[in-house]
Amino acid sequence: MNANAVSPAPPAADATGSPGAPPAVALSELTKSFGAVRAVDGLSLEIPRGQTVALLGPNGAGKSTAIGMMLGLIAPDSGRAEIFGGRPGQAVRAGRVGAMPQEGGLIHRVTVGELIRFVAGTYQDPLPLERILAGAGLGGLAGRRVDKLSGGQAQRVRFALALAGDPDLIVLDEPTSALDVEARREFWDGMRRFAARGKTILFSTHYLEEADEHADRIVVIDRGRIVADGTSREIKRVTALTTVGVTVTGETSWLAGLPGVSAIEIRGDRARLRCTDSDATVVALAQAGAVRDLEVSPADLEDAFVALTAHRATPPVPSPVRTGPAGQEESAV
Amino acid sequence: MLGYVRLEVVRVLRDVTFVVFGIAMPVVMYLIFTTLALAPGDREKAALFVMVSMAAYGGMGAAFNNGSGLAEDKALGWLRQLRLTPLAPAAVVAGKAITGMVVVVPAIAAILLAGTFVNGVRLDAGQWISIIALLWAGTIPFTLFGLGNGYRLTGQAAGIANFASSMTLAVAGGLWIPSDVFPGWLKAVSEWTPTHSYADLSWNVAYGEAPAPRSVLILCGWLAVFGLYALASYRRAGRSA
Repeated sequence: MNANAVSPAPPAADATGSPGAPPAVALSELTKSFGAVRAVDGLSLEIPRGQTVALLGPNGAGKSTAIGMMLGLIAPDSGRAEIFGGRPGQAVRAGRVGAMPQEGGLIHRVTVGELIRFVAGTYQDPLPLERILAGAGLGGLAGRRVDKLSGGQAQRVRFALALAGDPDLIVLDEPTSALDVEARREFWDGMRRFAARGKTILFSTHYLEEADEHADRIVVIDRGRIVADGTSREIKRVTALTTVGVTVTGETSWLAGLPGVSAIEIRGDRARLRCTDSDATVVALAQAGAVRDLEVSPADLEDAFVALTAHRATPPVPSPVRTGPAGQEESAV
Repeated sequence: MLGYVRLEVVRVLRDVTFVVFGIAMPVVMYLIFTTLALAPGDREKAALFVMVSMAAYGGMGAAFNNGSGLAEDKALGWLRQLRLTPLAPAAVVAGKAITGMVVVVPAIAAILLAGTFVNGVRLDAGQWISIIALLWAGTIPFTLFGLGNGYRLTGQAAGIANFASSMTLAVAGGLWIPSDVFPGWLKAVSEWTPTHSYADLSWNVAYGEAPAPRSVLILCGWLAVFGLYALASYRRAGRSA
């Protein structure tokens, strides 16, 4: 078990990214319309090797379309997608990419072992079956028919297909949307083991907590565009939507002056503080001896989007930090 | 690609519907037709004639069934999953066509075995080899037709189209009722069908003749037509995927 925490094998030289090597993912000015709907609208994104990135957005934000173009399944109207410096199709053909589409991909009348062994066999240097099964939390299910699996088990098989070939980049489109809490936890355990080996991971989600907990970097996408890009902390600071609830008696105006508080709302003896830095706020409350019935509620994505869109409309707002190593490049096409 | 063919063949042979309707049913029909003397001529001649008809029917049905499976794969997202593996798109198409050529074997073999062991059909070794080869290779046009429908249509529509195509071709080609008893106009149509020319090659061999060049040409013509249809459907599916 400890082997997984401290990278079990020396990672391949190009998996973690030697300086100068092309990034795992480079999207420049990607645009795609379906009829009158512009699903992806000038999206540029660069993901260095070894990073775990969450593509966060509500349903219909253009996440799946962006991922489809990234994987070479959808041809962009304009712009360019590159994986490890080459066309997506080439990278897939070379076995450097593993992917889990949002749904489907499982067939009937085969066993879990047969299906995984077949997909692994299409790669040049796949993981052994036992490791794939263990990595995806499928131990003991190799002999089970794929059409007899529970929803959570089926999802783990789909994850197993994505990691079977031991690719350098793994792309997962809403990997946990069909899972219950326990299955979700097991899924992320498997994912963390994979990431620990220096692999690049991109996953899309509409759960803020999931992006928060499992990604090094969050790219927020809305209406086909990137509206924020940074670490979880940076995004939350911008959206300022963490709410700290506390019971207070008497004077309440001092609360507005606490560090990290951007707005307050008083109802009876209950104060709700909207915070850009809830940690600082809680520490200050504790120092003031005012911690009573403390409640910290994380930002709600729905509200976060309202906030992010509003930020975009009003210019004098600090734009979220970009963590990509290189600046935006002009599209060559 | 071998791994892909193996996986696909396993899936087909585990399909109970296919085993019942694609392999067992033609055998039952063969035995009913011959024991009830529904075919013309004496019993021995009927056993031989209908053996070829039903083997052709079974082989064609299995070939079409393969195409219907492709439409299901599309609906299940399996074709997209395959595009996300290093397997080349051409290898997937070729693998599916080869799968078609493998799964027709048990359907044809079941009838030939029933002919030999139940109805006592006796042919010399050269005839058996020729008939097996002709019945097997002659399924290729139908495999392509089925794949064309599979790429072009959605799951259920492809199933219906393939069922309707195989029924129409079986009847019109004289696989169920010999075309000799057809009215003149239908007989004339029948002689141009792919099914009739397909079975005719083996009927010729069974009765000690060489395959008729006319049937070879007609079947090759259909091979070209169905091949182009499959190619067009595949291109169209690729654009809309």
